[in-house]
Amino acid sequence: MVSKADWEIAPIRIDPDTTEKLFFTDHEWDTIEAAAARIMPTDQDPGAREARVIVFIDRYLFGIAYLYAAADGSGFLQLADKDAHAARARNANMQRLYREGIHELDKKARELRAPSFKEASEQTQDEVLEQISGVPKPIPVSLTSREVYYSRLQGNTDEGKSFFDTLCLHVRQGFYGDPVYGGNKDQMGWKTVGFVGPKSLKDTMDGTYSTAEFFIQEYDWEDLVPGFKHSQDPTSKQEQDGQ
Amino acid sequence: MKRKMDPVDVVIVGLGAGGGPAAKVLSEAGYKVVGFDKGPWLRPEEHYSGDELKFQNRSYLWPDVNLMPRTVRSDANSEARIFNFSPVPSNVGGGTSHMAGWMPRPRVSDFIFHSLHGDLEGASLADWPYRYEHLEPYLTKVEWSYGISGLAGADKGEGFRSKAYPSAPLPPTRFGKKFYEGSNKLGINSFPLPMSHLTEGNALGRPAVNRTSFWNQYGDPTQTRSSVATTYIPEALATGNFEVRADSFVREVKVGKDGKATGVIYIDPSGAEIEQDARVVILALGAIESARLMLLSSSNHFPDGLANDSGLVGKNATFHEYIFAVGLFDRDMEDPLNGWTGNYQSGGSTHFYETDESRGHIGGGIIATTQIGQAINAIMPGRPAWGQAMKDADRDYFDYSMKIGFILQDMPQETNRVDLDPTVKDAWGMPVARITNKPHANDIAMSKWQIDQNQEILQAAGAKKTVPVYLGDEFTGNACHQQGTVRMGTDPAKSVLNEWGQAHSVENLFVLDGAGFPTALGVNPTLTIMAHSWRCADYIANTYMKGRSERLTLSPIKKS
Repeated sequence: MVSKADWEIAPIRIDPDTTEKLFFTDHEWDTIEAAAARIMPTDQDPGAREARVIVFIDRYLFGIAYLYAAADGSGFLQLADKDAHAARARNANMQRLYREGIHELDKKARELRAPSFKEASEQTQDEVLEQISGVPKPIPVSLTSREVYYSRLQGNTDEGKSFFDTLCLHVRQGFYGDPVYGGNKDQMGWKTVGFVGPKSLKDTMDGTYSTAEFFIQEYDWEDLVPGFKHSQDPTSKQEQDGQ
Repeated sequence: MKRKMDPVDVVIVGLGAGGGPAAKVLSEAGYKVVGFDKGPWLRPEEHYSGDELKFQNRSYLWPDVNLMPRTVRSDANSEARIFNFSPVPSNVGGGTSHMAGWMPRPRVSDFIFHSLHGDLEGASLADWPYRYEHLEPYLTKVEWSYGISGLAGADKGEGFRSKAYPSAPLPPTRFGKKFYEGSNKLGINSFPLPMSHLTEGNALGRPAVNRTSFWNQYGDPTQTRSSVATTYIPEALATGNFEVRADSFVREVKVGKDGKATGVIYIDPSGAEIEQDARVVILALGAIESARLMLLSSSNHFPDGLANDSGLVGKNATFHEYIFAVGLFDRDMEDPLNGWTGNYQSGGSTHFYETDESRGHIGGGIIATTQIGQAINAIMPGRPAWGQAMKDADRDYFDYSMKIGFILQDMPQETNRVDLDPTVKDAWGMPVARITNKPHANDIAMSKWQIDQNQEILQAAGAKKTVPVYLGDEFTGNACHQQGTVRMGTDPAKSVLNEWGQAHSVENLFVLDGAGFPTALGVNPTLTIMAHSWRCADYIANTYMKGRSERLTLSPIKKS
């Protein structure tokens, strides 16, 4: 078997401006692009449409060739043997979920007297999304309301979710994920929220990309930790002196 | 006829926090050691980078749930479902590959939990068969060889410490500074949490260049994070006495006519079944998988699983649910908190660690302020799922929120256990671990009380709104911590292992991960696992292998 440590890198890159469809039909592409634009709308800042979330989703659904970028972003890892087998099985499920989901979007749009989801007004599109989500369209966060939540697993895979929840997660991934995957064009998503991300994945591997400027520059542990004295720990000033 | 490899002195199964120190100590002592890991041997500088999608969403490091599933249920009468419970990377380095790296020491009280509290209804409290003072020298050895940063003397309740840290802590982040401000207002002793992370100018001479903030759940392409794969494994290999067999799945520990372990049977990367004999077998797969392998290894001597004459293998599992409170700040009033920065944690406290029965529960644990994460998965409980409300929430709070987390010390219960799933099999065709768990009333009470304290700290720091995330009615294993399934103790009827991690009924079998911990600890277990493994490996090298044995005598506890 080929170990995960030895997966080959296929030197392929994704052009975010491409209109070449690898998985979707024209109709499916336009439908998902329209839905994504309602999930992450365009306002004074770019939304899913400008960030090319549709390219991101199309490549992901195409198969397993775009599942994992090489660490340095030079291409994509080619899974092998049992890992590839498991990933392909998941991909087949995901393709089915999308095809059925798109069918449902159109069906609900027609029930609201639109010719199709993609041709419906934004208001009707929102109504359809609200219906398939099963809960009212989200309202803005309030600083005065009180809510309680319970713990869940860290990480956020797309397994076992409904079509709507999957699509919402994929839109976030395409808007905020590393641009190497085809979305987040020109780091539009990152700029929208103030995430100062790396220029390339490679820059995260060797110290080129750093968030050091966002740490507190001037501090003294004796002030932050009342009662602590530097004499208790002679190494405590290294980092401060090093700056 | 299975192929047989030349016998060696020691076989170690699992090369993470438990297996790494044992590999180093035993190979440096001159013994021939073979280490197995069912996962790959990844090369950090080649395989790791700051790719949120790959590490947080597409599970590059986590076990593939289709290939290595686990099942979970809340009690013996309910149906188990497949769930990636307590996922720890299955590769050389194990959980030290992805961990945020909280490395606080356990405290004196952790080792005498039963003596301090007596029996608790529905729980199986126990003392450890050794004390803090027995582990202290090894805690120091790990801090100085593995590489831990911290501020000695800053944690007012810490036990005796023989040496300061080899590295100063990272500077505080902006949200870290808020945490100190909130804590200090309330008179809570907070300090930079010890971390498996070095800073410039450290005494070990290691470079420390990773300030990317791609940290918790990411692999580190540099050697800034201390990991077993970049410290103890290469050190063990340098002796010439150690060999790594990665992508090799150990499916059984063999038992001879005399009831001793004779070695292991494993499936190599080509799919061939091979036998590897050894004088000593060490299990360090993590508490879930170590128990599973023991249960898979039934024999004439041990029909219910290896060394399971007490019937306790798999029972008394603890999992340390990670729960937290999030604070949202007003962007018009505050400077950005940059909650996405920092190598995860930036200040913690053990102020609430020791029992205060007026709280309505016993025990406690460590808290810390931690990153909210990068943009896709930034932690914001209750974030609107879609539309303008979601976009506004991202824009308004990505830079203006912070969280304070808590490692919940769950009480051991015999009914919280690992056994073999009767139907689900893994990619090698072996029954998978089935986890049965339900929180104890003390766990629920501790969750509520502590998360409310965390909300108060956030409010003192200026949060306009706080959102609690409590423990629900089941554990999710989200801390990736596992303890207790093969508990240590002095009485063979009430425990499986003795004070050296050695099976009471199989003298050449040692279990050197968190499985031996009789109680969960209120701190992250990794430093304790490593020091424990080192201490037991010292015993194997210097006492057991020399044909001797030794028992520890503990002085009685005076309850104050």
